[in-house]
Amino acid sequence: MTAIPPDLVLGLSSALLGVGLFGILTRRNFILLLIAIEIAMNAAILNFVYFAAFNGTGAGLSGQAAAVVIIGLAATEVAVGLAIVLALNRLKGSINVAEAATLRN
Amino acid sequence: MNLETLGFLGLAVVALATAVLALLVRELVHTILWVAVFFVDLAAIYFLLEASFLGVLQLGVYAGAVTILLLFGVMVTRKRIFSKEAATGIGPVPLGLALVVVILLFGALPEIPSTATPVRSYAATDLSLTLFGPDGPWLLLLGLTMMSALAGAIYLVREGRE
Repeated sequence: MTAIPPDLVLGLSSALLGVGLFGILTRRNFILLLIAIEIAMNAAILNFVYFAAFNGTGAGLSGQAAAVVIIGLAATEVAVGLAIVLALNRLKGSINVAEAATLRN
Repeated sequence: MNLETLGFLGLAVVALATAVLALLVRELVHTILWVAVFFVDLAAIYFLLEASFLGVLQLGVYAGAVTILLLFGVMVTRKRIFSKEAATGIGPVPLGLALVVVILLFGALPEIPSTATPVRSYAATDLSLTLFGPDGPWLLLLGLTMMSALAGAIYLVREGRE
């Protein structure tokens, strides 16, 4: 049995979401962009894990099941993202997302 | 303030610091090392929150597989692995937008009753009963998504595509 106040956990996950959002908006390297998305997703998983174990909600384990599903989805997303990195590197010779503007031009 | 809260505070500071460092360091390999520390730190938080199965899953999937995949991506896309990134400055608009989101979320924190509620631990068998019982459709959906993502990834990287 542990007792950690909810505002601490929610504060941490909000701050992590902010860091991830900042990374998504500023980084130009595709791999750094993937890492920023992972940080933001981990903020969401942290919320699910905390409230899954929260006493008295009655739906405890659905939260952990949702966390399992999100972890799987995040791994899938990294795999597809790296496939896009490889294709982009082959087409453009760099993984800068600012250069991937073929559809726009 | 009890011992668990102190431990959580320490882990939270490490998590925030490593997340910021991972995005600001200019060498991509160092970024991946920091993000590996971040994932291990979050696994420790899950163990602290009595979700041991998810902690193990975090260590295996994130600290193990995702980190290696990212390193592989760095290895195959650059000639010199330890070369530095070009400095992309911290734009004031993205920083402001992220700060606004964080301030809005922090502003909502007082709405939540802040009494420390005991956290219950669950056995991994209970989680598997839920995953293969009432929450089974989600697991099926995850499997279908992973299968189509696998097909899409193979399509993207296949040879002879220009």
